[in-house]
Parts: sequence; C-alpha cells; structure tokens
Amino acid sequence: MIDRRSLLAGSALAALPRFAIGQSDQRPSITVAVQKISNTNTLEPLREQSNVGERVMVTSLWEGLLGRDYAGKLETIPVLATEARRLSDSVVELKLRQGVKFHNGDELTAEDVAFSFGNDRMFGPGGPNSGATIRVGEVNPGRTGKELPIEVPAVANRSFPGIERIEVVDKYTVRWINRTPDVTLEGRMARYGAEIGSRRGYAEAATWLDWSRKPVTTGPYKVAEFRADHSLTLVAHDEYWGGRPPLKQLRFVEVPEVSSRVNGLLSGEYHFACDIPPDQISGIERNRGFEVQGGTIPNHRLTVFDRNHAPLRDARVRRAFTHAIDRQAIVDSLWAGRTSIPRGLQWEFYGDMFVGDWSVPKFDLAEARRLLREAGYKGDPIPYRLLNNYYTNQTPTAQVLVEMWRAAGLNVQIEMKENWSQILEPGATRAVRDWSNSGLFSDPVSSLVNQHGPNGQQQQVGEYANEEFNTLCRALETGTDRAQRKQAFRRMLEIAEREDPAYTVLHQNATFTAKRKDIRWKAAPAFAMDFRAANWGA
Amino acid sequence: MLRFLGFRLLRAAVTIVLVVSFAFLVLRLSGDPAQIIMGADAPPEAVAAFRQAWGLEEPLYVQYLRYFGAILRGDLGRSMRDGREAITLVAERIPATLALTVPALLIKLCIGIPAGITAALHRNSLIDRAVMVLAVAGFTVPSFVLGLLLVLVFAVQLGWLPSGGQDSWRHAILPIVTMGVGGAAVLARFTRSAMLEVLGQPYIRTASAKGVPWRAVVWGHALPNAAIPTVTIIGFMVGSLIAGAVVVESVFSWPGVGRLLVVAVANRDLAVVQCILLLVAATMVTANLVVDLLYGALDPRLRNAVRGA
Repeated sequence: MIDRRSLLAGSALAALPRFAIGQSDQRPSITVAVQKISNTNTLEPLREQSNVGERVMVTSLWEGLLGRDYAGKLETIPVLATEARRLSDSVVELKLRQGVKFHNGDELTAEDVAFSFGNDRMFGPGGPNSGATIRVGEVNPGRTGKELPIEVPAVANRSFPGIERIEVVDKYTVRWINRTPDVTLEGRMARYGAEIGSRRGYAEAATWLDWSRKPVTTGPYKVAEFRADHSLTLVAHDEYWGGRPPLKQLRFVEVPEVSSRVNGLLSGEYHFACDIPPDQISGIERNRGFEVQGGTIPNHRLTVFDRNHAPLRDARVRRAFTHAIDRQAIVDSLWAGRTSIPRGLQWEFYGDMFVGDWSVPKFDLAEARRLLREAGYKGDPIPYRLLNNYYTNQTPTAQVLVEMWRAAGLNVQIEMKENWSQILEPGATRAVRDWSNSGLFSDPVSSLVNQHGPNGQQQQVGEYANEEFNTLCRALETGTDRAQRKQAFRRMLEIAEREDPAYTVLHQNATFTAKRKDIRWKAAPAFAMDFRAANWGA
Repeated sequence: MLRFLGFRLLRAAVTIVLVVSFAFLVLRLSGDPAQIIMGADAPPEAVAAFRQAWGLEEPLYVQYLRYFGAILRGDLGRSMRDGREAITLVAERIPATLALTVPALLIKLCIGIPAGITAALHRNSLIDRAVMVLAVAGFTVPSFVLGLLLVLVFAVQLGWLPSGGQDSWRHAILPIVTMGVGGAAVLARFTRSAMLEVLGQPYIRTASAKGVPWRAVVWGHALPNAAIPTVTIIGFMVGSLIAGAVVVESVFSWPGVGRLLVVAVANRDLAVVQCILLLVAATMVTANLVVDLLYGALDPRLRNAVRGA
C-alpha cells in the first residue's frame, strides 16, 4: 500500500531529476548537412588535408597555439598561446594560456606542445626532415599500431620545413627552434595542421586510427561518435577555456546529393546545409524562413598552363589567355556576384606582404589578339583537361572560358577527365587545366611558393619552370628582410602572372551555407564553421 | 546432377575471376589512387610516399599477381583511405543495405506478382490497364527521380517522414518504397506477360473444357508454368540485394554497401571496390545457380534433361 509520505517522496524524486536536467542543459542540438565529412575518414588534420576537414575540425575540435580570426579577415591571432615573442630569426618563444583543459580533463602544458610537434605525432622515428619514409615492404600498411600513415610525415615536413625541435622551458613556456631563419614561423603556427593534441590522449589510444577518429584536443566540442562516411557527433566540452559552448550537441551528417541537403533543410531535419551551388541560392531564399550565407574563402581559382605544350611555349600565347578572360562576367553570371576578383594570387591577411597595387591581367581582347599575332599562333588546338565540377561551377566556367578564348582567336578544346591523376598525366595533350590555391597562412610562401615554386606540384609534374622565379622563391623562403622579401614577391607575381605565366587567377572561391533565418550565426570567410559562443545567437 | 553442379560452380568461379580482374584493370588504368586520395593540393612528396607505401610504383602485373595471391590466401586487402581491412568495412555496411533491400524485395514480390496475375486474368479490363499504366510509370521513372519526388511530398510538404539518414526505422520507409515500387513494376509486367502466354496454351483450354475449376486451372497449371521467367527476375533481384541500392543509398544518405562502393570508386580505393565486387559477383552467381536449380523443380522436362545429361 502506498502511503501519503511515500507518495510525496516519490513525487519529489520524480520531479527532481527533470528539474535538474532542465536547469543544467537547455542548449540546442543542431545538425549540419555536408557533402563530405572527411575524405580520409579521419579527424587528424595532418592526414585530412582538405577543405571539408577544415570545416568540421577547425574552431570546433582542434585549436593551435596561434590561429586565425574567423570573425575578421583571417588574421593571425593568439589561441592556446597568449604571447609569441621572437628571440631570433629562427627561435620563437611562446607563453601558453593557463587553465586550458583537454577533453580528457588534463591541463594543457608545454609537454603537450612538444608532443604535438614531435616525432610520435608528426615526423615518425626519423624526425623532422629526415627524408625517410616508412618502408612498408611487400604488404600494404595497416593501422594496427601507432605507426604513422606514411603521408603524415611528408605533410608535416612540408608544413614545417625547418623545424628542429620544440624546447620545453617550463610548464607554460615553449620555444620553437628552427634550423634556418624563417620569418613565417608565426604564420605556420597558425596554419591548418599545427593544432595541439593531448599527449596522454595519444598514449592511451590503442592505435593511430583510434586516435585519429577520436582525438583528445582542447576545442569547444569533443567527439562523441564518428561513423565514417556517415556522421560525426560532437558534444559540448564544458570546461572549454573560451566559455561554455552554446550547443549541447553538434552533429555533421554526410548527405552527398545537393537536392537531398536542401530538402532536408526545408523539411526541418537539418539546421544547416553546406556546399550550396550558387544557382540554388535564389530557390532556397524564396522560402521566407531560410537564408544562404557565406562567401569568399581563402582559395583562388586558377587556370594553369603547361609551358611545354607546343603552342604554349611562347609566353605571348599564355599572356593572350590571361587577357581574353572577362572575369567580372564570370563572377556576375555564374556566381550571382557573390564572389570577387582578387589582386592576383595573394590575400589581404598577408599584412605588410600584401601588394596592394597589384591586379590580375586586364580583360583586353585587342591585346590578346595582338599577342597571338606576334606569337604567330595559327589556331593549333590547345587541349583543356577538365574535371566535372570538382570545383563549384567548374564546368560552366570552363565552357565560358573556351568561348572567351575563342573570341580572342584561341582554339581551346575541352577534354573531360575523371580524376586528378588523368589531369596531371604527362603527355602532348597536357596544356591547360584548372586548379586552385589556398592562403594557408599569412605569407606568400604558403601559396605562391608552396604550389608553383620548385617544390610545388606544378614544377614537380613538369608543367612549369622559370629560373628567376625559382631563385626568388628561395629568397622568399629564407630571407628575413621584410622589404626585400616584399620586393621579391612582387617580382614573382610579375613573372608568374604576367611575363611568363604559370597560371592566371580567375576569381576567389566561395562556399555557401543555407540555414534557418532565425538561427543567429555568421559564416566565416573560410570553410571552417564557427560554433563558439561568440558566433551563436549574437 | 553433381556434374551439373560442378560445371555451374566452375563457371561461377571463372565469372568471379573475370569480374575482379576487369575491375582491377579498369580502376588501375583510369587513375592513380595516390593522387586521387591525397587530393589536388597534396604535397608531391606526400603523394610519392603514399604511392611507395601501397606498392603503386610496381609494374601493373606485379600488383595484379600480388593481389590475386592475397585473395587466394583469404586476404582481400586494406582500404587506402584509413588502412582498415576492406572486408571489415564492407561487412559493417551489409546490415544497413539488407535493411533496405530485403523489405524492398518483399514489397516487389507482394505487389508485383499479384498485380501481374490480376492484370493477366482481367486482360484488357480497366484493372489491367490501370495496373499496366502504374507498372510502366514505376518501371520508367528512375529511382533517383522517384526518391526525390517522395521526399518532396512526404518530407518537405507533409513533414511525415525524414528526408534522409539512418537514425530510426522511419528513415528507412522512403528508400524502401522507392526501391520496392520500381521492382514491383518490373515483376508485374513480367508476370502478366508470362501468365498471358500460358493462359493461351492448349492445355489450359483443355483443363477448362474438362470442367476443372478456373481457380484450380490458374493455381495448378498456369502459375507454375508462368513462374519460370518470373523466377529469373526474382533471382536477379536476390542477386542484387547487396549492391542494388547504390542510387537510393546516395539519394537518402543511407550508409550501406552502395554508398561505400560509390565513395570507394571515386577514391580508387582498390581493395574496397574489389571486395564489394567480389561479394556482388558471388551473390549474383549463387542466385543464378539457385535459379537454375529452381528451373528443374518447376519444370520436370528440365529436370529430366539434367538427369539424362
């Protein structure tokens, strides 16, 4: 028999937890539909070197000593470090933010920084710049242990080419010691791939794959579940140093089809739908409750030339290509004016290295025709290897370009290809192709040198070489005099974009995110989606 | 019978070898997995390291022989994307795919066969015409169009069902219906046409003339004889249980074998693609074998021919 007292006690007990739960966490949980969560099915930036990876990992999961201002123009800002002080051209001392907690409850210390830039996580047993790769032999590599995937040391060495070691000065102070003078160190520390992980978290993971799928980091959200090719569920890390995260749960779901992402958004299943093509924007915004945000990202779309192709050996023909493009028409017609034409291959966040008076070659059909006449171009076919919309609007842009080039007298013929391997395959039909270039950090070394310099892909696959340009690349990489570096950069732009074109910039790339209008959130000028408190409900 | 079985098994083995070899050649000749998986902006040294690690620098025939040697040892290889065993990745996805394809198969059978029989028994009636209009519509509308239409109506407009994903049983309804409708339409058409052919045979007229009740004529004489073409189609459907949902899984973001195949092909993740193809080929060949055996059970003439052989 139930008496009055036990009934009251029971009622009180029943009511208490509900009240407590209601009080403790009324934060919303949201779902974000993306085309792809991670190309490699890992959440380790050193392995997942992609824009899609940046979107789910940067600001939400991983943080670096320095970072980029996603509420501003991507300038370098302190994150886990509070101060970065130059001791010499090759040494930077960093004071760590105190009281930062990892997802496992440990406090961030200098040892975690040393681990993050150390052999276990980045370079493998050979150490930085050892040149060694992990020889697998006759069997394919498996991730049964802690051995690094073979590409991780290669990416790390490319990202931090001169690093010698991280010296632990005290619990909250480290020194980055470079083998060579490098004025870009602070920028490199802010780049994607320079994030800090927990030393104990790594040690406790059974395998590298386990670590890479549930890394222990300092970000405002921690991994609850990662289902490869399907979903990534992050939950609030309430001890986050930057304040309590505004969301209880942040879930990314992989929805490969655009129409499915849009339908899911309109039906209320998703709060955000990413990777919206520009031609879908007006259709979505016809629904009063929805809007499309976003815009330019630090990535420029390029047309790239192979100067070994017979007609393209003459720089005047390549220059004709650059002058025959009406870039504004492409931006207006295919991007609804929602992106812009940059000042060549550079970004404003380069700071004092930004060449403000530079611009892309002027649209001038007469000049293009004159150059072709002078070069004696007779209308020989020039192949244009093309992927089907790897980049947003890639195919329509190519079709527009071919017509623009035809108007100047260039006989460019599209050859559809299936993948990058086919695009880059050497041969007589490699002449013109598409590419993009990202500003990975606040210096032209991150873009112009990285992709078009002697160690960049374009020269490595044999499409381009220019002796003066390559000499200047080395000067830019190792020089410490800022004025001389800027002069070198300007001259490199002159060579690569005007005199002996390696590429020509078409426009800045952009990415668009559709969302419910009542959600107050601002898209960053990058792929990264910022769900920290300052960018939610403001 | 044993000889018959042995011959069919040998043919099945050859088919599987040919399928896997073809897939190996096509995938390897159409792009370098290292460049594809590492991406357009990957540092050249990272691409080179990847290639070295996975033995992609070896001559093609060496890679092929190594691959086949591994298969014979029961090793189907590892995914180049995350290093996990291909068979594990595929096995993880099979339940999700079967959760769609098995109910869809039941829908196809439960709707398609009765609809086809009914249409045949009421030839040129309103019922027949209605069934055939629906069957032609179901047969001709591509599954991705039908799927998107269903999403627009039931998810976006009415809000009754989710538009995609795999979080609950409700998420499975639209993909199952999408697959079921198309297959039911195919079965209905085949069943109707087979039934019409049988119903015009002299032995059906004879049975009717001798006073056998019409229901007994249909169930006892017409249906078993009309079943052979229908069983062939059903066999194909059963064989497609594993890989038959590629499009639907993509439209509905359903993480099954079909989605895995699309991603693996796009990334030239050789081991995973080949593992799926091996599985699909084995399923299809097994289903064909079962169909061949069923022919014998359904048609005594075929059974006797096999015995005679």
